Amino acid sequence: MSDTTERTLVETAATRPPFYRDAIVVKWLAQILTLAVVLFAAIFLAREAGDGLRAKSIQTGYGFLDVDPDIALGEGIDTDPATGGRALWVGMVNTIRMAIAGIFLATILGTMIGIGRLSSNWLVAKLASAFIEYMRNIPLLVHIILFFVTIATVFPGFGGDVDSVTGEVTQGPIPGVLHISNKGISIPRLHIDDGFYQWMIIVVVGLITARWVARKRHEVQDQTGAESYPVFSAIGVVLTFALVGWFIHPIFGWVGDAIFAPIRDLLDGTPEALVQGLLAIAAVAIAAWWIWRFFDARRTPGGSAKLTDDDWFRVIFAAVIATGAGFVFLVLWPGLSSWLINSGSDFFDVLANKFGDGRGSVIDDPPINVSMPDVEKRGNFANMGPSGLNLTQGFAAVFFGIVLYTAAFIAEIVRGGILAVPKGQTEAAQAIGLRRSTMMRRIILPQASRVSLPPLGNQYLNLTKNTSLAIAVGYTDVVQVGQTIFNQTGRSLEVFIIWMLFYLACSLTISVVVNFFNIRLKIVER
Amino acid sequence: MSEFEHLSGGTAEIIAQADQREAEERASRPDEPSLPPFEWLKVNLFSSVLNTVLTIVFGLLGLYVYRSLLNWAFSYERDWDAVRVNMRALFTFTYPSSQYIRIWVTLAIVLALAGVSLGMSRMIGQGLSLKRISIWAMAWGGAVIAGILLTQPHAQRTATGEVMLDDRFQPMRESYGTALADRGWWWFIGLVLLGVGLAIWWSLGDLRRRTTFVGAVPFTLGMLAFLVSTLWWFKWGNYGEQGDIIEPGRTVNDSAKLPWTVLWFVLTGAYLLGRRIATTARSGTVRGLVNFSWLLTPFVTFWVILRDPALDWDHVWSTDLPMALAFIVGGGAILYLLTKPDLGEIGRVIGVVILGVAALTWVSAFLGTYAMLQKARISFLLLALVALAAHNFAGERKQRLRLVLAWTVLMVIVHYMVTMMNTPSTVDAPDEFVGGFLVTVYIATFTMIFSFPLGILLALGRTSTLPIFRVLSTIYIEVVRGVPLITILFFFSTFLNIFLPVGMEIEKLAAAGLGFSLFAAAYLAENIRGGLQSVRRGQFEASDALGLTTVQRTGFIVLPQALRVSIPVLVGATISTFKETSLLAIIGIIDFLRVANSVIPGQTQFLGVKMEGLLFVCMIYWIGAYSMSKFSQRLEKHLGVGEH
Repeated sequence: MSDTTERTLVETAATRPPFYRDAIVVKWLAQILTLAVVLFAAIFLAREAGDGLRAKSIQTGYGFLDVDPDIALGEGIDTDPATGGRALWVGMVNTIRMAIAGIFLATILGTMIGIGRLSSNWLVAKLASAFIEYMRNIPLLVHIILFFVTIATVFPGFGGDVDSVTGEVTQGPIPGVLHISNKGISIPRLHIDDGFYQWMIIVVVGLITARWVARKRHEVQDQTGAESYPVFSAIGVVLTFALVGWFIHPIFGWVGDAIFAPIRDLLDGTPEALVQGLLAIAAVAIAAWWIWRFFDARRTPGGSAKLTDDDWFRVIFAAVIATGAGFVFLVLWPGLSSWLINSGSDFFDVLANKFGDGRGSVIDDPPINVSMPDVEKRGNFANMGPSGLNLTQGFAAVFFGIVLYTAAFIAEIVRGGILAVPKGQTEAAQAIGLRRSTMMRRIILPQASRVSLPPLGNQYLNLTKNTSLAIAVGYTDVVQVGQTIFNQTGRSLEVFIIWMLFYLACSLTISVVVNFFNIRLKIVER
Repeated sequence: MSEFEHLSGGTAEIIAQADQREAEERASRPDEPSLPPFEWLKVNLFSSVLNTVLTIVFGLLGLYVYRSLLNWAFSYERDWDAVRVNMRALFTFTYPSSQYIRIWVTLAIVLALAGVSLGMSRMIGQGLSLKRISIWAMAWGGAVIAGILLTQPHAQRTATGEVMLDDRFQPMRESYGTALADRGWWWFIGLVLLGVGLAIWWSLGDLRRRTTFVGAVPFTLGMLAFLVSTLWWFKWGNYGEQGDIIEPGRTVNDSAKLPWTVLWFVLTGAYLLGRRIATTARSGTVRGLVNFSWLLTPFVTFWVILRDPALDWDHVWSTDLPMALAFIVGGGAILYLLTKPDLGEIGRVIGVVILGVAALTWVSAFLGTYAMLQKARISFLLLALVALAAHNFAGERKQRLRLVLAWTVLMVIVHYMVTMMNTPSTVDAPDEFVGGFLVTVYIATFTMIFSFPLGILLALGRTSTLPIFRVLSTIYIEVVRGVPLITILFFFSTFLNIFLPVGMEIEKLAAAGLGFSLFAAAYLAENIRGGLQSVRRGQFEASDALGLTTVQRTGFIVLPQALRVSIPVLVGATISTFKETSLLAIIGIIDFLRVANSVIPGQTQFLGVKMEGLLFVCMIYWIGAYSMSKFSQRLEKHLGVGEH
């Protein structure tokens, strides 16, 4: 240390430190070493897993997705799935159904309880905070199990009403429409029928028109100051389109054959080499684009790029990665491109079929159909039949559990948002004589929502992930179905990857949606 | 990944800020005299027509829920014996009763530390005002008396204890008057509470009620003393006679009254001791020692006290002790040399060489070509890490010796603990020796201990300027945060053994703990990142101006400030982890939720009795999580977080 202080500045600047003390070299060496260790560990573990699976003679691969899993699901769009993939899909739909319904109800309930906690009425405030403290300090799993056990004791048994003459079993309270019992709740089910997708084209056109109409009405209101009902007219436009489309949707029957079928045929005809080449070119092109932008950002006003050693390392690293990726696409993993082609063509094949011309008359075969609840008798025991939309005991337990649990957190977030609104806003609103409800709706909540939205999005993510606890009470969500499948087929790793991708996709979707609103709220702020 | 940026963290902070605002609001209000009761009712419950309607509607709703709960809890169908008899099963599952002294010793250690910490704590507030205590007493007394009036009369029983049913198979109940007269104990409790409350209220003026305070800790100790004393005069229940209940033949009181009494004295004594120490000059040292003991407690109690390993003394003398001594002496000598102030480059080279040796031993052990003792591998790695950081501690003789002393202590602990962990247990219990609430507490504790350093590393990685570290950390954090905990636990409990090299197995409990830790680390990393981002730029610039290295800047300047800011959020993370441990029940570990949900209903004596146990589990979880959240609020006030 002493000799460095004796050096002059000029000397220090002129001599570079030895490479093992050079900050940039050490930095990049450490990073690349870490990456190498991570990659090495991954490869090592993958090889061990392969050996382990072979040693235990467990088969691998995604073949189980196309094979009959021979399982019966408790509830869902298809209780007797033909393939493993279909079974998982039913589980996914169940998860999504639960998540969407849960998010809606939890938001409404949570907002109400959050406002209640700030109520000037002592009793309401205390009850709200008692509810919140009870819900959020006990694990969700315990709530779910408690609800599950409670429902079994509170709801009436199934098949209590037996016709003494015919022996036919009916179930109350409204036979054939609404069945409530300790096996669950059965309500009429809406389901998609032929022509639905053509109808959706018309509805989407209606939505776009409605947006345009709403903007026009807003302009009118801004210019004249008269109430021009933009929201109502928009809703009216959508309803009109939907109603007209209900009868004329077959006119879009050509879409499947004219648009999607050619794309499918085109993909079928695509040579593998072309896709391989395109992928490799894309990898190189992205790297080149990134490097070009990087150089551009480093350009001085004079026009010449000033690059430090650190920058050179980045550029070289990007180039190496791109080359490596190209190598993988071209040589190491040729199966990827054929898989891409096949799944693309399958996807458009499905679309071509869905958009194919609808059959039957418009009146008898509407795009959306209803099927009523029924009663099924297996042996001596009556049960909910497959026709209605069955919300089983498990569904109810999970649903009440996640809704009330998340509502407690949402209530806290809403309270936080409201308290974050400056006091002057409330006082100003009172000064101009707004009523309490109007003030809440027009002044406080819009500002509070700006603060609450990001954590609210987090709660939606949590809610979606928490539906996986359904496995404790046997509700057939994607985790439960997956577990059943891997117990039967031994394809544990594959199922785990499907779970991961599914939940990541859900998380990403929710973040994108919440961020969309987040950004919109921010723009309003300015 | 930018989609996630806005959504990270959030919930805990917004709630904390709201609490903060409400507390400030409360503090900013002048200390007003209390309103007379009717005035209070008018202002708070009947201020307007809407408020009156709300009060009536919600008041009736509240009474209805209260009545249903009471009727449910005191119904003839309830079998609270299922909880009383299974108290040991719920808390420790199959831990053998002959060895139960180990549980009590563990509890004594924890309570002694808690007592000292409480006694020395600087964040005790002014305590509970007599007004508050009086209102509580009156409210509880009122609730008990309302309960007596609301509950439906008991079902009548025959001489043999059978419930008498009428012709519609409904139980025949006593008349309401008899029922009121029957509940003598309840009347007594309710009236005593009400009387105490009213006595405090009337004997003191409003000002003295509001300004006389009782310390929260002495008050709680008094309440606990009362609870413990009930064990001596109130019969809490029998253990059953059957084999599937942990301690047949004895009563709850027999097995618990003496230990709990001793524990109460340990807690109180430790509290008084802590109070005494806090005023002495060496309180700082003691505080450090106590905090260090807190860190060691989970390890020592779990692997040494509860597990009771039987040491193979021959092996200890021939291998374990010499190895420990070699590392203490050799490592200490190396560290003493490396902290020489004018050592220069050679110090780093030696550090890197040791790191290389350590890495080699790990890799070769992993590949199975060279089996070096686990302890030696761990010690080498630790030595390399300390050696690499040693130049930061360069200084005069005393400072160098202090580092050597720290190294010695570290080696003693590591070698002792690893030896203990590797020695087979002598506790006579099937499979895993912990279960019930014990496993919940230990998994939660170890999860926090292990995920904390990993969370710091990930947070540093994510905020790092080095792109590869940043990308790797971000991918890890977002992937783990994007999937549900249960899938990760399935992965670790089901698939992990497939991944491990042949011949290497991992216990179910350890696998679960690993899964929990890796999961919690991702969330902790986000919390700590929030703290890191709150450190002002000036701090970075100042440390750069002082010529600190990146490691020094991070370790001595940035992290301490960041962690201080994130402490309340970290307590929040602890609460989440505590609640998440309930998922152990799904992956087949018998925690106390599973005891309540499937073990008790499976006992022949209590077939199908589920709700009682579940409610008890609810209560325990609630008490744990609620007290932690109150603690975090107080911590926040004490640290002054959020007041910029």
